[in-house]
Amino acid sequence: MSHSAASHGAAAHGHPSHAPALRMGLPISNAKLGMWLFLGTEIMFFTAFIGSYIVLYFGSPGWPTDTNVTHIKIWAGGTNTFVLLTSSYFVVLAHEAMAQGQYRRAWNFMAMTFLCSCLFLGIKGVEYYGKFDHRILPGIIPETELQSVRMLRDDWKERMDSQLNALIPGKDPLHVKQATLISEIEEAKGARKEKMQAWADLNVAFSKYRDEISANKHTLASAEKLMFDLRNQATVKVGDHEQSGVYVTPAIIKSVHSHAAETHTAGHIEHDAAGREISREASDVGLHLPELKSGQVAISDSQGNWETLDSKAVRSPKMKYAGLLGSVSLRHPIVYGNLFASTYFLMTGFHAIHVIVGMILFITVLAQGRNLSDKWSNWVENTGLYWHFVDLVWIFLFPLLYIIPGNI
Amino acid sequence: MVHIAGQEHLEEHPRVNYFAIFVALCVCTAISVVVDIVEITPLLLVFLVLAVAVAKALFVLTYFMHLKFEGRWKFIVLSPTAILAAGLMIAMSPDLAMHYYTNEAPQARAARDAASGLNPPPPQGEAEQMAPGQKAH
Repeated sequence: MSHSAASHGAAAHGHPSHAPALRMGLPISNAKLGMWLFLGTEIMFFTAFIGSYIVLYFGSPGWPTDTNVTHIKIWAGGTNTFVLLTSSYFVVLAHEAMAQGQYRRAWNFMAMTFLCSCLFLGIKGVEYYGKFDHRILPGIIPETELQSVRMLRDDWKERMDSQLNALIPGKDPLHVKQATLISEIEEAKGARKEKMQAWADLNVAFSKYRDEISANKHTLASAEKLMFDLRNQATVKVGDHEQSGVYVTPAIIKSVHSHAAETHTAGHIEHDAAGREISREASDVGLHLPELKSGQVAISDSQGNWETLDSKAVRSPKMKYAGLLGSVSLRHPIVYGNLFASTYFLMTGFHAIHVIVGMILFITVLAQGRNLSDKWSNWVENTGLYWHFVDLVWIFLFPLLYIIPGNI
Repeated sequence: MVHIAGQEHLEEHPRVNYFAIFVALCVCTAISVVVDIVEITPLLLVFLVLAVAVAKALFVLTYFMHLKFEGRWKFIVLSPTAILAAGLMIAMSPDLAMHYYTNEAPQARAARDAASGLNPPPPQGEAEQMAPGQKAH
């Protein structure tokens, strides 16, 4: 098997007693044949993923394609394409240097390939962080308004419980802790008293919200308004008296508008029966916010009427619930968001696993240091074949995941 | 099995200008990005970016993976997987593009209802909403 038929045929004739009895198989090394067969199975493996993705995409009218919603970063995908191409180029140069007996040069190219793979994973990590940060994860994305308002209830409940546990430590059940908190408010002092009172008040708002959810009374807009009002509930000093209400500044209004443009409208591309897109206007989603110039603030009374004030006249605004609510917020529905996240993570995740395996192969070569020699040539060649395949998969993932969805 | 060092991997092949291939691959990537930026019809875009991807794949397979210089064994080793991979796509195409039915997923229906002013959506059981996969009553 090891002997090449072409170069040793004549010698074999001359010395029949020393010739191998049989020459079977293909004129390539076993290792290379094994690698090619393995890559053959890999082609089918990734075709199954990519094929399923395409079927699910086109079978799901309303599949999320807006990059503001999916948090797909085209610059990251493009840069990673370039990084992988470069690494593919380096690994082929490493193989060539090995064949020419320039082992030091081969080691250097291998090291550069390894650095490229690290860079690829780093950029991938940034992308994954964006997904985790916005909770674009399979199984936890609301797909209908009903799921959105119920998810807010569940997130809010979890936050209330954790805040209660922080205020009343110990192993008592939550309902006992709640009773303890209520009874201790009177004796508590200072900031602790304020926080306990805020928790108790917020819990009343939460219970009301929970009951209204059960009665199916909440819509996305009403839940959004409730959350906005609670988050911006504040006590401010105006002149020598205190005033409480929903407190807004131009910065808050600006962030609401940009958030609406980003997630509400874009995240809410809907399709009518004929599959046409129905877009909604970017608005303050029914919050009825006042128009403020810079240097102005506004505070609402209990009827929801806004009183505009000069920002200099208002002192030390104290947010009542913002700290307690933490990062709890209403998440807008993304139709087919879960399927999107599943397919995205399946494809890019398996690709990333292949990158990590490739890095292990590179490290094995790099660990030889100055001992890198001809006996590693097969290893380098097969590693190169494997790495080119990893590049090949990305060549198809880049247009399918990054370019096409954002454009059709 | 006898191993003669250095013999197995030294299949002779003409020198390839790898840098030229690398540049070609970079140009292909640039074309993809340009196609993404300029305004063209979606169908043309899909065709172009996939054509570019196939061209890049062929560059990598032919030159970086040296398939151009390999013996005929490459057809024996790679044709089954190529046929099966293509077969898989063809087998899935009835679900992909040729189905006669309209998709009736609950979340798509809810989005449609909300868009046509049916808001709040009709009351639904909690379990069926929060646990995907359960059937509606």
